[in-house]
Amino acid sequence: MDTTISVLTNKLRDASDWVTWISEAPFARAVVFGVNIGGHLFVEGLLLVVILFLLSQKSYKPPKRPLTKKEIDELCDEWVPEPLIPTITDEMKSEPPVLESAAGPHTTINGKEVINFTSANYLGLLGNEKLLETCTRALEKYGVGSCGPRGFYGTIDVHLDCEARIAKFLGTPDSILYSYGLSTMFSAIPAFCKKGDVIVADEGVHWGIQNGLQLSRSTIIYFKHNDMESLRNTLEKITQENKQAKKLRRYIIVEAVYQNSGQIAPLDEIIKLKEKYRFRVLLDESNSLGVLGSSGKGLTEYYNVPVDKIDIITAAMGHALATEGGFCTGSTRVIEHQRLSSSGYVFSASLPPYLASAAVKAFDILEENPDLITKLRENINTLFKGLEDIQGMEIMSDPLSPIVFLRLKKSTGSSKSDIKLLEDIADRVLKEDSVFVVTSKRSTLDKCNLPVGLRLFVSAGHSVSDMEKASKSLKRVAASLLTDQS
Amino acid sequence: MANYYVTAVPPTDLNRNTEWFTYPGVWTTYILILFFSWLVVLSVFGCSPGMAWTIVHLSHFLVTYQCFHWKKGTPFADDQGIYNRLTWWEQIDSGKQLTRNRKFLTVVPVVLYLIASHTTDYQHPMLFFNTIAVFVLVVAKFPNMHKVRIFGINADQ
Repeated sequence: MDTTISVLTNKLRDASDWVTWISEAPFARAVVFGVNIGGHLFVEGLLLVVILFLLSQKSYKPPKRPLTKKEIDELCDEWVPEPLIPTITDEMKSEPPVLESAAGPHTTINGKEVINFTSANYLGLLGNEKLLETCTRALEKYGVGSCGPRGFYGTIDVHLDCEARIAKFLGTPDSILYSYGLSTMFSAIPAFCKKGDVIVADEGVHWGIQNGLQLSRSTIIYFKHNDMESLRNTLEKITQENKQAKKLRRYIIVEAVYQNSGQIAPLDEIIKLKEKYRFRVLLDESNSLGVLGSSGKGLTEYYNVPVDKIDIITAAMGHALATEGGFCTGSTRVIEHQRLSSSGYVFSASLPPYLASAAVKAFDILEENPDLITKLRENINTLFKGLEDIQGMEIMSDPLSPIVFLRLKKSTGSSKSDIKLLEDIADRVLKEDSVFVVTSKRSTLDKCNLPVGLRLFVSAGHSVSDMEKASKSLKRVAASLLTDQS
Repeated sequence: MANYYVTAVPPTDLNRNTEWFTYPGVWTTYILILFFSWLVVLSVFGCSPGMAWTIVHLSHFLVTYQCFHWKKGTPFADDQGIYNRLTWWEQIDSGKQLTRNRKFLTVVPVVLYLIASHTTDYQHPMLFFNTIAVFVLVVAKFPNMHKVRIFGINADQ
């Protein structure tokens, strides 16, 4: 380094000697600002010319290079038009069962009463007399729609009541209502997580969260489904490897009860890890609200974790509460931030008032009737016990989860053929025993790669005999269809 | 025929990161900042005027190189990341070359170099650093260097 500098200084000295030699001419003997003008005039004149040349240039916009004829031809040759209508495959030909009555615990398909295991109506509140009456009264008072977004003229007293009721029920300072359950997650996530932030998410999160993750444009790292060791390693890796990580916003996103597997997130462990590695936790309680905990407050109550340990809680009200919409709850700052920054809240028309009043009523009913939760738990227990020794399948879900998830013990090779097999089971169970169950068929947009299975949504509205009938029927059909898998 | 509508002038710059440079008085402010920083350097370090100009020139080089030619993107999220691969210099005037602002920003380091070299009487250590600085800054500002990363310096990963 020293030698290069000395070489350079020598060169410069030579150059300046040369400049001095040029300035031997008598014109360069002036003194400007107390400095002797040696060969300065030459250099300064040159630079002045350069400046003048620059100033005389005309401005222009760098042209965008047009495609050459050859490139255009290549692009045209490469293009294969897709048919306007995709070719009909056998999967598309299957006709799903059509419900002919409300999707309560029992419903009608093809004029036959069936036991419905396809609605996330955990507390059996769907079609509840008191709820219907509340809805009717609200409809008569406010009409159907709220006619505008919350920030303009769509805020109606019941929205405020509902927000206060949610906060009171969960013991949080404040809460915010969204118009649609699914959009709660994909509005709340991008409201907090921005480009450059780090999100550690479970690989089994449902599509609403996946969409939110994508919209946030953050750096997303998935950990193994419900695996705390994997979460710990991921967090460790992030904090170790990335020196910048301390300056970034960091989030862990988990579901309380996973819609895609029925497993329950071990919240106590997550809280420990979050506090150790200093992450924020966003918890989706859609399938645990009204289900877990002694009074149905969800996962925090189940694990006896103070609710303020969770930074952001979101939940859809379309499941246990039997209305529609969703909410997010947390500290006052978390909620106030969303009122101006959450696209789903700011830009969509607010929740229809009758649905908001139904939600308030649903919370009342839940508080007055804690036996609903006990009933649900008994039902889950009965079904769980009944299905334990089913042939060729195993229960993937937690014994407390209202989603009983059955997956094949031995996959047939691809999830497509698995789904086919499971659909056969569901079809036969429906036709032969009037038990309506569905497979966990996912949208093509859904990137979740957990194994597919049969998903049974248990409700408090089911009776013990329903549970026994369902498990018997499933066992019988599985035994006849899954003979090779034992 | 009567003019029934108003022809609105399109906003000169939609990029919030560079829009401020289209405001009136920016050039004056820029020059004044340089002049006052010279005064500050002069009074704080108590060095010769030439040395002060060299310090101003070199710090101007460091600051503008970092802000104009090194850091990419904008601090704002609402532009959806379209400027993520462009430095501030490449963003100004929506990428138009040799505009008045660009010429001004090119002339400033050259004039600073002239003043600094002249007042230090083309003495060696100062002249060397001043030349390097002005060379880097002027080359980085060439229209031909628009969106070009020579030797992959500061290139995208």
